[in-house]
Amino acid sequence: MRAGAAVAAVRRRSASRASTLYLFALPATLLFVVFVAYPILWVAEQSFYAGRTDGAAVFAGLANYRSVLSDPTFWIVVRNMALWCVITIPVQMLIGGLLAYFIERHTHALRGFFRTMFFLPVVTSVSVISLVWVQIYAPYYGIAQEYLRHVGIVMMTSPIGDPKTAIYALIVVNIWQWTGFSMLMYIAGIANLPSEVLDAARIDGAKGWRLAVHVIVPMLAPATKSLLLLGVIGTLQTFPIVHLMTGGGPNRASEVFGTFIFKQSFVLGDTGSGAALSVIVLVIALALSLIQIAVLGARLSPAGKEKP
Amino acid sequence: MMAPLARSRMRGVVIHAVLFIVLGFWMVPQVYMLSIGLRTPAQAFDAALFTWPVTFDNFVTVIRDNPLGGIFLNSLIITVATVAIVVAVSSLFAFACAILRLKGSMLLYTTLLTTLMVPLASMVLPLAILLKNFGWVNTYIGLILPYAALGVPFAMVILKAFMEDAPRELFEAARVDGCNAWQTYWHVALPLVRPALVFVTIWQFIVTWNEFFLALIVLTRSEMKTLTIVPMQYSGLYMANPGALFAILTLIALPLILLYVLVQRAFVRGLLAGAVKG
Repeated sequence: MRAGAAVAAVRRRSASRASTLYLFALPATLLFVVFVAYPILWVAEQSFYAGRTDGAAVFAGLANYRSVLSDPTFWIVVRNMALWCVITIPVQMLIGGLLAYFIERHTHALRGFFRTMFFLPVVTSVSVISLVWVQIYAPYYGIAQEYLRHVGIVMMTSPIGDPKTAIYALIVVNIWQWTGFSMLMYIAGIANLPSEVLDAARIDGAKGWRLAVHVIVPMLAPATKSLLLLGVIGTLQTFPIVHLMTGGGPNRASEVFGTFIFKQSFVLGDTGSGAALSVIVLVIALALSLIQIAVLGARLSPAGKEKP
Repeated sequence: MMAPLARSRMRGVVIHAVLFIVLGFWMVPQVYMLSIGLRTPAQAFDAALFTWPVTFDNFVTVIRDNPLGGIFLNSLIITVATVAIVVAVSSLFAFACAILRLKGSMLLYTTLLTTLMVPLASMVLPLAILLKNFGWVNTYIGLILPYAALGVPFAMVILKAFMEDAPRELFEAARVDGCNAWQTYWHVALPLVRPALVFVTIWQFIVTWNEFFLALIVLTRSEMKTLTIVPMQYSGLYMANPGALFAILTLIALPLILLYVLVQRAFVRGLLAGAVKG
């Protein structure tokens, strides 16, 4: 009897101790529920309602989705986002990878200097960057038209003022800002390459470019996959560069999801279609991410470490 | 025929030269920004990367005329609070998953991880409404908590991986010595993952300091604004005076650049300590 009570007491105490252990997980879970999960569920619900002028919302079925998908701007956005992905991600990988390779394998005293300098655009405020590039691109007094003229490229207008070139001009800014990030990811990858493998390859006669292309590039696949995944999500949340440099113009030619959602939701106050757009972006992001994770085995974090 | 040593030295010189040339081009926007900030009004619209002479008048004017200190303080308060919360919350959660291995913690971990796949663009509308309902528009907390919620998953991935790599015997020893979970977390787990904590701190600092989209929507009162969202209003204010505009842009960009230069060694060390291992 007494023994039974003691066992029960111990069990009770260990049970309560186990439940206090869940306090370790509680704050993160709370933040997630309130500021991630709940807003997503709310926006999903709102996407099926249409706001009325009197403030009440009425169920509208798929009307918001229909109106978003039939808006020609939506398809401009889709095209721009596809361009953005297809151009920025490989170019950043290529330049970042080359920089990383030469910095890691051929510099010593100046290694820290190069690593830091090429990364500086990443830590420079994006709004500052945007305004500086507006000035660079400016007609008459900008330096782009001035210096490009010497190599035979004549710009009569600002490239961000022309509907045909605006999105490409913005992509250039984005590449410039984020290449340092790709570089750093590859630097981490190169620094962690097992030296036995490199030595073995060298003994087999792989040198210089052959070593780089056939041995190092394949071994950097984890960094490449992470960059791909991050690049897609980063593309979908593109906002400040476009908002500050073109506002999505001229004539909506450089509109991206971020600016489109911003306009529908906060400028026009059309919560219904803003919500439908938010859900569409979310679904695209989840679908593309899951496809990459399933097909490539890509990981979610730039610094995701896999257990051996 | 060149000796191998001379050839490799030659190649080193060429590679350095190429890197410096590329870097020269890469730095053009920043150099240009500083250069316009140092111009007299007469030269401000010259289409040149450098002009001569330089003047510090623009910097004196914009520092005198604008409440940059207060704006800086807003950025600092929001960023430091967010970083502190992210580091505390994510390390606690990582400890629960990697060391305590609580039942259900892996399911929670996977759930929280989906946050990393959510683009902020699809969150701004619901977060704006939520914060309005809480009465948190134009408050620090209205940015700090959403930033923390969006930052925790990434930090937790890294800290969990580092804790899993730590030798388990240390945690066993702590248990045998009578440490409870909190003591083990504080005295064993946290010191073990220090490089990761430093990395997460610096990265979260950069991301939070430079966040634009949510700040633009939540902070509408001018005395609450952060350094990232004020440049637009100055671009209107100093439209006819690029020298002053670019002086203020330089001042706005400077704090984080200086900070990064100071901490970059620790940041890269954290990254190399196993960040992108495959």
